Amino acid sequence: MQKVHDPVVLSTSRSSATCYLVTSDRLHTVRLVAVAVVVFWCLAAATTLLAQDTPDYFRQNCMNCHTIGGGRLTGPDLKDVTQRKDREWLANFMANPKAVIDSGDPYAQKIFEESRNVPMPTLPGLTKERLENLLDLIEAESKLEESQFKGLQISNKPFTDADRALGRAIFLGHAKLEAGGTSCISCHSMYDTPALGGGRLGPDLTGIYERLKGRKALSAWLMAPGTETMLPIFKNHPMTADEINALAAYFEASAGEKPAEPAASRVALLLMGLAGAAGLVFGFDAIWKRRFHSVRRTLVDATPVRGH
Amino acid sequence: MNVRSQVSMVFHLDKCIGCHTCSVACKNIWTDRKGAEYMWFNNVETKPGTGYPTKWEDQEKYKGGWESNGNGKLDIKSTSRTKIIPNIFHNPHMPSMDDYYEPWTYDYQNLFNAPEGSDQPTAEPISMIDGEKIDVQSGPNWDDDLGGSPIYAENDPNLEGLTEEQKLQLSSVERLVFFYLPRICNHCLNPCCVASCPSGALYKRGEDGIVLIDQKKCRAWRSCVAACPYKKTYFNWFTGKSEKCLLCFPRLETGQAPACFHSCVGRIRYLGVLLYDADRIEEIAKLPDDELVEGHRSMILDPFDPEVIANAKKSGISDGVIESAQRSPVYQFVVKWKIALPPHIEYRTLPMLFYVPPMSPVQASKPEDTIHHISEDLFHDIDASRVPMKFLANLFGAGHEGVVRYALRKQKAVRWHRRAETVGDVDRATADRMLHEANCTREEAEEIYKLTSLCTFEDRFVIPPMHREQAIEMMKEPHEHRTDAGFGFVGGPQRGL
Repeated sequence: MQKVHDPVVLSTSRSSATCYLVTSDRLHTVRLVAVAVVVFWCLAAATTLLAQDTPDYFRQNCMNCHTIGGGRLTGPDLKDVTQRKDREWLANFMANPKAVIDSGDPYAQKIFEESRNVPMPTLPGLTKERLENLLDLIEAESKLEESQFKGLQISNKPFTDADRALGRAIFLGHAKLEAGGTSCISCHSMYDTPALGGGRLGPDLTGIYERLKGRKALSAWLMAPGTETMLPIFKNHPMTADEINALAAYFEASAGEKPAEPAASRVALLLMGLAGAAGLVFGFDAIWKRRFHSVRRTLVDATPVRGH
Repeated sequence: MNVRSQVSMVFHLDKCIGCHTCSVACKNIWTDRKGAEYMWFNNVETKPGTGYPTKWEDQEKYKGGWESNGNGKLDIKSTSRTKIIPNIFHNPHMPSMDDYYEPWTYDYQNLFNAPEGSDQPTAEPISMIDGEKIDVQSGPNWDDDLGGSPIYAENDPNLEGLTEEQKLQLSSVERLVFFYLPRICNHCLNPCCVASCPSGALYKRGEDGIVLIDQKKCRAWRSCVAACPYKKTYFNWFTGKSEKCLLCFPRLETGQAPACFHSCVGRIRYLGVLLYDADRIEEIAKLPDDELVEGHRSMILDPFDPEVIANAKKSGISDGVIESAQRSPVYQFVVKWKIALPPHIEYRTLPMLFYVPPMSPVQASKPEDTIHHISEDLFHDIDASRVPMKFLANLFGAGHEGVVRYALRKQKAVRWHRRAETVGDVDRATADRMLHEANCTREEAEEIYKLTSLCTFEDRFVIPPMHREQAIEMMKEPHEHRTDAGFGFVGGPQRGL
């Protein structure tokens, strides 16, 4: 600290010394004031930064499961949550949701079941300070008539065939996502995904519409996907409302379909692989029939033994 | 003119008795180590024979050396920038362990430790690679002195172009013949091994032309093994680095002849400096086969020519080396007398080891239990020699007999000249006629005779002053060099980067 503020103190004392004679007492007071000013300024700056940061943080990390005054999605509506539970419990829960659920806390159990047994993930970069800020933010937003975190306003107009076609094109990667996000097929498949199937990293999404209980939750999920694999991808490349609408239409249409069967069973795949490998080995042997072989052995074998 | 100096060699095959002392001396010094058991930097082959590794001269199989690609450029047969990609994990056309031989020793401990029994204990052969008992099937000179001739001698690649009758003669009684071919690295002027190395680990030493492998730079590509048409670079399976003959440079630097030269019982080996014009290497290496021997000889410069001396000095060659080149026995054999020839120059690496082709007895026939020699002079009718001229031409003349006939005729004339001088069964006039036919004077014949038969250590080995201190100065501060040279462990070759 001392080192950082030295220039300020020095300049102050020099100006005092040159302007008028000062007692050591006065000099001391001037110093204190200077230090206080600087410290206050630093604190203020830091607070402003954090304060600006908190809504963004909320948007990125909370909004795919929660709204404030917009009704429940995967997680409960957070409006007036600070009145339902005390701050200490909430802070404790937010810091490590899984631990609290596992500890058998009845209220935590209840919201866990309400969320169709999807536990709240541990939030990345959650400091004690940020936690308090988040609670402050929720409290402040709850008091407003209409919170900025009311959530996506999902249109109620019915899905059209054009929506479904666009959704399928987006899923298969034929239509590019506007912000440059990865196509769904990279990691997911659907009942009608063609020949080679989709990626295997994520689950088959046939019937996802029912699993997430409808248009609203699905759209909220797509607005800010929250899983470990999807979050880093879509954090910086969010989907537009039109794209989300189209995808929701496509997913809705899949209701009642069976998930795609893999083209071949695992055993068949293994056998095909082995057969392919064997084919390659014999193929190469045929292609490189005239390759370099042992010279001496060939020579000895080719020469008839005589004289016995 | 870009004058360079090269420590060059002559092996006088007419004197080689095939005793393998050279091989043993070399083995004891350089390759008696783990991973190097199978290597023979110096080996002696019986000719006709397939040599070591088996049929190394068959470049259809091994793809060694250079080839002309038709548009006036020379290409390495074994590899190229495009070929190296598909062969990145495996270098084809390399001799296998079986083509060299699996090195073995004997289980001597069994002679002492065998349990008491009704028979004598024996020392069975055990492999030096895996320590298991092996059934020895081949060795580095398996065809030595007709052992396995029906297989090995009859498949000598140099027999190509011989008539069936000539081939049959080589294994029939009273016509059969063999001679010896000691081989070390030729320290070529256009070395294929150096050109092929993807790591740049091989280099030709500036001051004396010795071709070496940097053990720290070698990355086990083994391109040099495939590229060298003489198969004189070897891969050490233990250190994961390639190794080759280093012409005993630590001995040369201290004024001693290389171990194989020093130990040679038949005194067949000569060593001395040649000055050559490095600007002409590419031009000469591209010459058609029948002009290669002459072209190669024409690159070697006269060390007495004032212009050559001036240019040599300009290239930084010291007075001591020039003086040494003037006394070089190699210059006499190769350029002045033209009786030493490069081996298989058709590989176009321009070898700097030359061979004096061997004389052999004339053929004989045995119609009724009495032996009739075809010529009256058992040793002297070179065209009736038991080793067919074509065979020697394949070895030393790129298939062309002219240069070989010249060398043999001159050797024969020298013998007749000496017989006229000392034995007296040849009259002087005949001897002089022979000398004239062989393009040789009495004085030259005397010189050849002296350097062949009466040569001393100092005549045979004219080792130039190496001036290592100057060579080191080019790359390193000598005081710094002093601290990491000398006896002790400065770090042997190790696998890896």
